Amino acid sequence: MRVAVTGTPGTGKTTATDRLRERVDASQYDALDADEVDVVHLNDVVQDEELYDDVDEARDSVVVDLDALAAWVDEYVAASDASVVVLDSHLAHHLDVDRVVVLRCHPETLEARLADRGEPAAKAAENAESEALDVVLGETVDAHGTESVYEIATTDQAPDEVADAIAAVIAGEREPSAGTVDYIEYL
Amino acid sequence: MAEQEDDKWGIAHVHASYNNTVMTVTDLTGAETIAKSSGGTAVKQNRDEASPYAAMQMVESLADEIRAAGIEGLHVRVRGPGGNLQKSPGPGAQAAIRALAREDFEIGRIEDVTPIPHDGSRAPKGKGGF
Ligand SMILES: Nc1ncnc2c1ncn2[C@@H]1O[C@H](COP(=O)(O)OP(=O)(O)O)[C@@H](O)[C@H]1O
Ligand SMILES: [Mg+2]
Repeated sequence: MRVAVTGTPGTGKTTATDRLRERVDASQYDALDADEVDVVHLNDVVQDEELYDDVDEARDSVVVDLDALAAWVDEYVAASDASVVVLDSHLAHHLDVDRVVVLRCHPETLEARLADRGEPAAKAAENAESEALDVVLGETVDAHGTESVYEIATTDQAPDEVADAIAAVIAGEREPSAGTVDYIEYL
Repeated sequence: MAEQEDDKWGIAHVHASYNNTVMTVTDLTGAETIAKSSGGTAVKQNRDEASPYAAMQMVESLADEIRAAGIEGLHVRVRGPGGNLQKSPGPGAQAAIRALAREDFEIGRIEDVTPIPHDGSRAPKGKGGF
């Protein structure tokens, strides 16, 4: 099973999936065995494997070759012994996956988190605006419908709690959801 | 558009999120707000119904204010899922534009200025419908 963990940059995907890794390894979840779960941080893969064909200078970002990324993931999954592969990336919802977790965070909090992480103000602002407009959620529902989408609001949750919510999705203990937050007043 | 007619034109900023749409009308510089439908007064939309009715109500609530400011034509800037008008019209955005036209505003340039989530990488344009 492939599980995408997507969300606007700053929603806490990498932090939460790292915690998930640690908690699975510590046998925190009855339903999830340590060697059954793989966690892959696709932002690193895109850079290391150079899976892009263009550069967006204004955003200091590479424009990802999604076909190449999908092919890389296919190969990775085929070679993996794990039955669950968790894909961390704000682009993971563009891939062929079985379930999609969409992390959400209030835009003000998200902007502050990105500033704290040392990101430029323009980057924090455009990502906060994206979050206020539900851009990633909209793309996700367009691509996958609502049956396999799981929205998780992280604004007031600790990373461990977010990891537990993702584990619940993987274990089939959480109902699908979309459109549960409304951040439009941030604009 | 002749220079002396500039003051007859404004910009309608349509923010279309997953289940809500709000609109702000500004002067051509974008600096002066002429009318604003706040998140509170904008009608909640049922995405499945694409809710042209909600967008119409939002536009109706602003139309008099816009006209009172002497605005006759509007350029439209759409931000939000479905902002790419070539592909998937978002819930609310297209309906808002049609409603503005029905209120007899001349519609000028329609631009998609949807923000792009990015983190050292981003999706290609047009991917995911936007
Ligand atoms: N649940 C949380 N509560 C508070 N801060 C968080 C939380 N999750 C992540 N952060 C902080 O927010 C920033 C962005 O988190 P990160 O995991 O890098 O997000 P993403 O991978 O989604 O871009 C980091 O500085 C991180 O320490
Ligand atoms: Mg990350």
